[in-house]
Amino acid sequence: MTDNALLLLQAAADTTHAYGEFPVIGARAFIWITAEVHLMFAAFVLGVPMFAVVTEAIGIFGGDERYDRLSKEFTRLLLVAYSATAIWGAMLVFGLSTLYPRFWAYLTTIFAPSMWIYAGLFFVESFTLYLYYYGWDRWKKGRAKLGHWTLGILLNVWGTIVMFIANAWLTYMMSPPRDITPTTDPTTIKLWHAIANATWMPINVHRVIANVVFGGAIVGAYASYRFLAARTDEERAHYDWMGYVGNFIAMSALIVLPFAGYWLGREIYQYDQSMGITMMGGFMSWLWVIQAFLIAVLFLTGNYYLWIGMGRIPGAERFRPYTKYLLIVLVLGAIVWGTPHTMIADSKELAAMGGSHHPFLGALGVMSAKNTAVNLMILTTFLSFLLYRRANTRPVVPWARAGTIIQGTMFAVAAGVVLFYGIRGYFVEAIVRIGFSVYQVLAVLSCIVFVTVIDILMARGAQSLGAIRWGRMPPRSQYALFILAVTFTWLMGLMGFARSGIRQYWHVWQVMQDTSKYAATPALGYASKMISLCVLIFLSLVAFVFWLGGLAEKSTFVATGEGEKGARHVGH
Amino acid sequence: MWVTNAKIVGIVLGTLALYTLIANKIPQVQSEVPQALTLGANVTPEQLVAAGEKVFNGIGGCTTCHGLGTRAPNLLTDEKGTGSIGVRCGKREAGKDCKQYLYESLDNPTAYVVSGYQPIMPVMTKQLSPEQVWAVIAYLESQGGTVDVTGDDITKAKQLTPGASPGTPGGGSAGGGSFAGGSTDPKAIIQAAGCLACHKLDGQGQVIAPDLTHVGSRRDAESIRKKILDPASSVTKGYEKLAGIMPKTFGTLMSAAQLEALVQYLAAHK
Repeated sequence: MTDNALLLLQAAADTTHAYGEFPVIGARAFIWITAEVHLMFAAFVLGVPMFAVVTEAIGIFGGDERYDRLSKEFTRLLLVAYSATAIWGAMLVFGLSTLYPRFWAYLTTIFAPSMWIYAGLFFVESFTLYLYYYGWDRWKKGRAKLGHWTLGILLNVWGTIVMFIANAWLTYMMSPPRDITPTTDPTTIKLWHAIANATWMPINVHRVIANVVFGGAIVGAYASYRFLAARTDEERAHYDWMGYVGNFIAMSALIVLPFAGYWLGREIYQYDQSMGITMMGGFMSWLWVIQAFLIAVLFLTGNYYLWIGMGRIPGAERFRPYTKYLLIVLVLGAIVWGTPHTMIADSKELAAMGGSHHPFLGALGVMSAKNTAVNLMILTTFLSFLLYRRANTRPVVPWARAGTIIQGTMFAVAAGVVLFYGIRGYFVEAIVRIGFSVYQVLAVLSCIVFVTVIDILMARGAQSLGAIRWGRMPPRSQYALFILAVTFTWLMGLMGFARSGIRQYWHVWQVMQDTSKYAATPALGYASKMISLCVLIFLSLVAFVFWLGGLAEKSTFVATGEGEKGARHVGH
Repeated sequence: MWVTNAKIVGIVLGTLALYTLIANKIPQVQSEVPQALTLGANVTPEQLVAAGEKVFNGIGGCTTCHGLGTRAPNLLTDEKGTGSIGVRCGKREAGKDCKQYLYESLDNPTAYVVSGYQPIMPVMTKQLSPEQVWAVIAYLESQGGTVDVTGDDITKAKQLTPGASPGTPGGGSAGGGSFAGGSTDPKAIIQAAGCLACHKLDGQGQVIAPDLTHVGSRRDAESIRKKILDPASSVTKGYEKLAGIMPKTFGTLMSAAQLEALVQYLAAHK
């Protein structure tokens, strides 16, 4: 046995030095707050560059300078946010090493080389950001501009690798490879074996998409604030457009997010059924009802923003009568999705229900009904986007009518497939039913892809019914963007609690037990207070960051003289 | 602008307050750390029931199947018009009172498989300590019946399983041959190990893991032995995603004679 291993085993045996204590709020709350706020900032500084680089590309290849300016304004928000991310990350590391030293020693023994790479990449990432932002005006034309855009891509590459590395540490805590037991000497664990654990890649994919959603939502909130504070119509038009782009990107990525979440859940079940049951049917079962409520708020608020936005689009009047039907589908879907099914109930509650499930609502609480509801909500939201996109145009291609009929048929077929498998799921075994959700997802995704392709082709040379009157939005639409940002952030905190909480009293699932006084996993009430506190700290700091940004430099908005005339849809 | 700022702050705080309020209004369940259960000879029925409820909803894992209405009979609620378990347990088998019936159902679950369900339940006296087993029985009796479990029942059970200590499975002494009562009958071993909770064999059990009905045609005895002792050593094609689910403890639970009996029995399933 090596000296290191011996030292580690001695440290493990010495429980008197396993845990430290933090004054007033306690060790767990300190780690909770620092980890969560760090994660929120990290999501922001990873999500925003993704669409900064996309909007810059639209500006370069589409020849629309507004996108370039928008991209620069996004990037400016990143500079101070990077410092905040690093500060909260340092607090987390210091917290872990002083409050949970035995656990931290265990993790560092396995992951030390990856931690050095992480630190090195963060350094490289920061300097790439500085080059990207401060070189914006110098490398503005021709090949230099393409080089500048490459810097943006590199920024994303470094950031994504950094996130993947950190994800390896936390997913190892959730799903250590099965050959690792409490008696396994950590010095013998191969680094890659620990990194490539069962939930690593699903978490990576889920977080990449979630970061885009989050970045879009925060940028949307920033734009809405600037909209409300704008002094001129042109400025208001600019920030109205920026808020729309932020919301568009957030909602587009949100549509894909449930599929990534489903993959993650499936991997958790396959890694350890008891963990899956704890997550979905055990003490966390109510958490999913809260999650459903939050996502319902997101869908409803996102659609509401779009519907209000149609008020500033000439030609949108013809679609307005349909919004009430879209609203009905969304509300019904949200109600079904939020219906509880399997959860811990005491004997009195069971007796009151007349069984383990409510006689009527129990049928709506099963996955067949929930999958059907959420897929129909996604289809409905996509339809809202489609109507919004088309609002001020009239297609002129000869096959426009046939194209619209094909699009309508695709919607009908997708909804039919979703409903068919939703109903059929009640009559088959669970193992078969699980497979049905794949068909439902494929139907919805296929519809989204093919309908979008047809729509893009149909929009070629389309007759304009008038330019969008950017800036002509009532203030309530901007407050909706704030609700979206708060809800996305809260949802991130809630899902973080779910992912971490299913380990229950284990630091590393079934390998290293939590023997501290905080080993019990708190109920949702306590967790919600912690989440709200973290969200409040994060949003307060973000507001401060934005205010600092405003002090340092004026908005990148430049009056073009075109006013509202030149404004177009994203994607047109 | 101050009015706008105040509105924004109000919306943010109002949204946070709403979510926090909803999360605090729902039932609050904390996930506790499992504690070793120590019940003395003077334990009261109320203490037993309270302890049993925790085991039932927690470490016992009973709610994984009982209460879903599909995998196992309802215990806390009515089961097809026969009432909850406390009401029906004394009527299930002639000559057996409720306490006897429930103990045997936990100690030898195949003895009384309710019609319409598969024999998938593991031997709970191997999973739980005597205190935990009798506390669960008291809790089940309390569901519509009379609790007659006493501290004497625990004391007697401990005397029968001297290796058991609070919080440790009653008869699960490592490799000591007390697994499945020391029986070398493969069917008793399969039952005690709970194999049918995942595998199907001769038309019984679940289809979560590979069907064992013809396992002898695809694995020889050595391969089966290795698989039981080290489940991660090989994975049947098509079940890669389930790798790691099968317990690794059978090598320490069974005696060598039991392991060999089981291996030969399965290898003969061509």
